[in-house]
Amino acid sequence: MLDRETIGIIGIGVLFLLLMLRMPVGLAMLTVGIGGNYFISLAMPAFKFAPFIKQFKTLLWGVVGNYDLSVVPLFILMGFLASHSKLSSDLFRGFNALVGRFRGGVAMAAIGACAGFGAVCGSSLATASTMGKVALPELKRLKYAPRLATGSLAAGGTLGILIPPSVALVIYAVIVEASIVDMFQAAIVPGLLAVVFFIVVIWVSVRLKPDLAPNVAKLSKQEFRTAVWRLLPVLTIFGVIILGLGLGIFTPTPAAAFGATVIMLYGLFLRFTGLAEGLTNEGLKNSILSTAVTAGMIYFILFGAEVLKIFFARAGLPAALSEWAVGSGIDPWGILIFMLIALIILGCFMDSLAMILVVIPFFWPALVELNGGDWVTAESAAFGMDIANLQIWFGILALIVVELGLITPPVGLNVFIISQMAKDTKMAEVFKGVMPFFGIELVRVALLLLFPILALYLPNILSG
Amino acid sequence: MIHRIAAFWALLGGGVLIAIMAITSLNIAAYVADYIAETWGGNVYGTTGYEDFVALAIACAGMMFLPYCQAMRGHVVVDVFANLMGQTVQRLLDKLWLVLIFCLALFLAYWMTLGMLEVRGDNALTAILGWPVWPSYVPGIASLLLWALVTSSQIFESTPQDA
Repeated sequence: MLDRETIGIIGIGVLFLLLMLRMPVGLAMLTVGIGGNYFISLAMPAFKFAPFIKQFKTLLWGVVGNYDLSVVPLFILMGFLASHSKLSSDLFRGFNALVGRFRGGVAMAAIGACAGFGAVCGSSLATASTMGKVALPELKRLKYAPRLATGSLAAGGTLGILIPPSVALVIYAVIVEASIVDMFQAAIVPGLLAVVFFIVVIWVSVRLKPDLAPNVAKLSKQEFRTAVWRLLPVLTIFGVIILGLGLGIFTPTPAAAFGATVIMLYGLFLRFTGLAEGLTNEGLKNSILSTAVTAGMIYFILFGAEVLKIFFARAGLPAALSEWAVGSGIDPWGILIFMLIALIILGCFMDSLAMILVVIPFFWPALVELNGGDWVTAESAAFGMDIANLQIWFGILALIVVELGLITPPVGLNVFIISQMAKDTKMAEVFKGVMPFFGIELVRVALLLLFPILALYLPNILSG
Repeated sequence: MIHRIAAFWALLGGGVLIAIMAITSLNIAAYVADYIAETWGGNVYGTTGYEDFVALAIACAGMMFLPYCQAMRGHVVVDVFANLMGQTVQRLLDKLWLVLIFCLALFLAYWMTLGMLEVRGDNALTAILGWPVWPSYVPGIASLLLWALVTSSQIFESTPQDA
């Protein structure tokens, strides 16, 4: 009979095989989790199968009714309400009124709007497609080079994953048992850094090649005033949500529920005062239904991951990986960089949430061991920080590289979406446009690796 | 028809989310009112047991989303290698996964029913509100059955409609 580690490794192989055969991710995790537990009970009679199956009495309820995860559907609903209230176009038009008159300014406005809207919306793909709809026509009208226009939008779409409120950060925090508030605080500086870097990329590109952005946006006084007036409330609402969560002023669940309420009321206000279309009945209904699809998908994967986790733990895989990592004699930094590269590559093929749920439970215990164990002090740790800080730092790094997968050839989902919207621009052209942003993202990862303080400063001064 | 029931069920789940939003806003309003009232020595109380309520309500809402997610084919799949397989193979695999999901939903419904009976037998109550936990299992079990129903209709669909 096989030993349990071997069964675990076979389980991973089967999981990838099933995923390649287009089995839904949650179902594949459950199949391998339940099947694997059965085989382990055959190999090791001490791990009985019946008690495992009996956990299904309350396991699903426990996952869905977990208070920490209650922010997830609320954030998602908030994002769809903002989408259906068409706040994205207010954001873009407002920023455009402010900076569109500079060379490359319209693309910069798109980056700013992507960051703000992406943070609240939480889905990279939805941000890319929503902002694409709003900003692409304007960029085209002003004859921006398709490469710059589409590249900025595809890259801009990834900005929101990290900036709070972030569903991915919540899920990461739940997996490694970190504080959600700490993670949000840590994400603020690296998130804003990306926005600044992207704007710098555009600025430098149009300096070097002015014909990338031949025209600037000219608005009449009236248009300018309307755009700015419409920007203010959206900026206030989004700003309060992002900074309130990022600085740890609000606790996540009430903030998500209240944020969703405010956005819904503002959408209804726009509609009933006739200022804009705002949130229609259809929009409200579609917001809820879209939330149901996204949240249902996430819960199914979360549940699958929970069952898979039991299997992997019984197979002793995380422990075996940690032992291997420590015993291999490879430099801890080398292993960390290897993990990040693995995440970028997997990110090209897998859904980012599924990836966080499957991969992080392996990487995290190995990192803890490499760092020197659970009780290591910052002075004697391999990465020079204690466990609490390592959780935060690694989470931010992991999330950045996961979002990189969305703009990495050959798959890059964001690139795919944008090239579908800009019908006359080839996908290869969009990839070319994305490359400078990809490059600066690697610089951001390197900076975070060299200066962990960028992520750790805020949580350490705010939470003590 | 089943599709519409699933959509209606999801909208009900959305109603639960909106109830959470309303309670939260009420609590925040009470908190602010309390802060202001304090200057005159007054008190305004918010509702207690917020976390209890949210956990129960989210458990209901989250489960109620599952059938509609299935109806819209919302569960993520990894599409990268799909092109390597022929159309027929893809369709067959798709049906096979649907059958598995159907079995899974019934399996979960069965065990969750046993879970509900156990939680009810133990007279489990939420920590602060002291509400019984078992009624929140009922919409969950109903959702799983509806999920199975939606899946069964997709198994017999002639053309798979990809959302």
